[in-house]
This record gives sequence, C-alpha cells and structure tokens, in this order.
Amino acid sequence: MISALAVSPVAEIATLLAPADQPAAVARLGLADVSLTARHGCKGPGTVAWLQGLGLPIPPQPNSWLPLDGGGRIARLGFTEFLIEGPDALIAPLVSAPRAAGVYPVLRQDAALILGGARLDELLRQTCNVNFRPLELAARPVVLTSMVGVGVTVIPELRNGQPAVRIWCDGTYGHYLWETLLGIAVELGGGAVAPHSFN
Amino acid sequence: MKILTCPLNGPRPVSEFFYWGEVRPMPDPAAASDDEWADYVFNRNGAPGVKREWWCHTPSNTWFIAERDTEKDLVLKTYFYPGEE
Repeated sequence: MISALAVSPVAEIATLLAPADQPAAVARLGLADVSLTARHGCKGPGTVAWLQGLGLPIPPQPNSWLPLDGGGRIARLGFTEFLIEGPDALIAPLVSAPRAAGVYPVLRQDAALILGGARLDELLRQTCNVNFRPLELAARPVVLTSMVGVGVTVIPELRNGQPAVRIWCDGTYGHYLWETLLGIAVELGGGAVAPHSFN
Repeated sequence: MKILTCPLNGPRPVSEFFYWGEVRPMPDPAAASDDEWADYVFNRNGAPGVKREWWCHTPSNTWFIAERDTEKDLVLKTYFYPGEE
C-alpha cells in the first residue's frame, strides 16, 4: 500500500521560526514536522513471519521498537501490528514486496512530529495522561495513548541530551494537533523548527 | 479520574476507553425460539451486579473484557477475551 504523502498534513500551517532563532527554541521546546518520512504499516497473524522473511528484526514485546540498519525503526503496536519508518530505500521494497497470507496493509498517512526540549514535560502534563518520565528509554517503549483528545503513537527518546518524543497520529487530526501543541510550545518559549534542528 | 487497566497498555484514564456493552452470547438463530431471539435482540440486563463487559482502549484499538461490579462501581479485573491475546 502506498503510504507516502505528497504534502504534509500540516504543510499549510507549519510556519517555522527564523533559522537563527531555532537553536534557542529547540533548547526550550521545539516542534518539527516529519510527516513526509516514508513509512509502512501492516498487521495480521502472518505479519511477524513475513517481516522476518524480509530480513527485519521483530521487537519481542508489544509496544516496543527496534532500530533498523541504515536508519529508521520498526515499532510493534500491539501483538500483530507494525509500523516501519525510515529512508525511502528501506520502505520501498517493503511496499512492493508481495504480501503473504494473513498480512494486511495499514494505511499510514500520519501526521508525524518531533517534540522536544527542556520544557517538554510541562507540555505533556497539559496534554496527555501518561507520565513519560519513569519510562526506561533503554527498553525502547512505544506508548499508544490520547493527546488533547487525539489517539497518538508516541516514542520517547533523548535528542541532544534533552527529552523528546516522536508522535504519530491520523493525518486528518494533524492540523489540530500541530496548532494545539505549537500554541503551548510558544507559551513555553519554544516554537516550530526544522527537523534537523534536533540533530 | 477513573482508571481502567488495559491488559496490553496498562492503567489509563477511562477517557481513553469506550464501552461496548455486556458480553452476551448469541443463541443459535436456527434453534432459538422467537421469544429467546427477541429477548437477545431487544432486552438488556440493567440490574446492578457483577457484569462481564466489552471495553476498547481506543488509541490502540485493543478490545478486552472487564468484570465490573455496577452496584459498587468497581472494576474487579480485566483480561483478553479467550483466544484474542
């Protein structure tokens, strides 16, 4: 299934800060749009064997993820559903590979965001019911929860030594989620930045 | 805030879930009498007590069973429907 997006769900409203202002904003709380990253979703009882046959590692536990060679990651959402995201060279063969029995495509035209900075926890406390701070990042957790009323998939991580989260949600909620998160981020001294600002 | 424990995602606020009614085994439509079928289709048991109910954790679309005492408003336990885990 073609999951690639030609235009980000938040393209019309994602006005970034001036490049000179972005490093300071990222240190406090930056929000970046990475919706155009290639990804593939699949689910079903045959999915684990199919992905293994394609040479991908399988996260052993539901709600965990593993890094992929060449960049990208594979996240296990529940028992038999997976989200794979990474460079086009990694995702394109997955999309074009013949599916096996019991493997069903999942449309992943998500709004995908990076949110991170020293004041991340202050934003999460206003928008989400999960306390991410006690999570052990070494265990590579994936959290499926609700954020300002939107069902989201979240991976907590560290970027430049600062707490950050990767967020995926249904693309049709992207506009609302971006506006809401950005409004709070601006109140906290942050703003919209380019994804490479987090590197 | 009421907390419900999803068997897969752990304790979450009840706002992350929706309720899909009591677990009600369907009688065999070919063998059931009209009264039995009408009772299954139209009637629900509203008497307070311990109920087995369908619940869904909506962000992950995880369906499971909650045993809930509707008289005391207590969730006794939650688990996957047999064969669904």
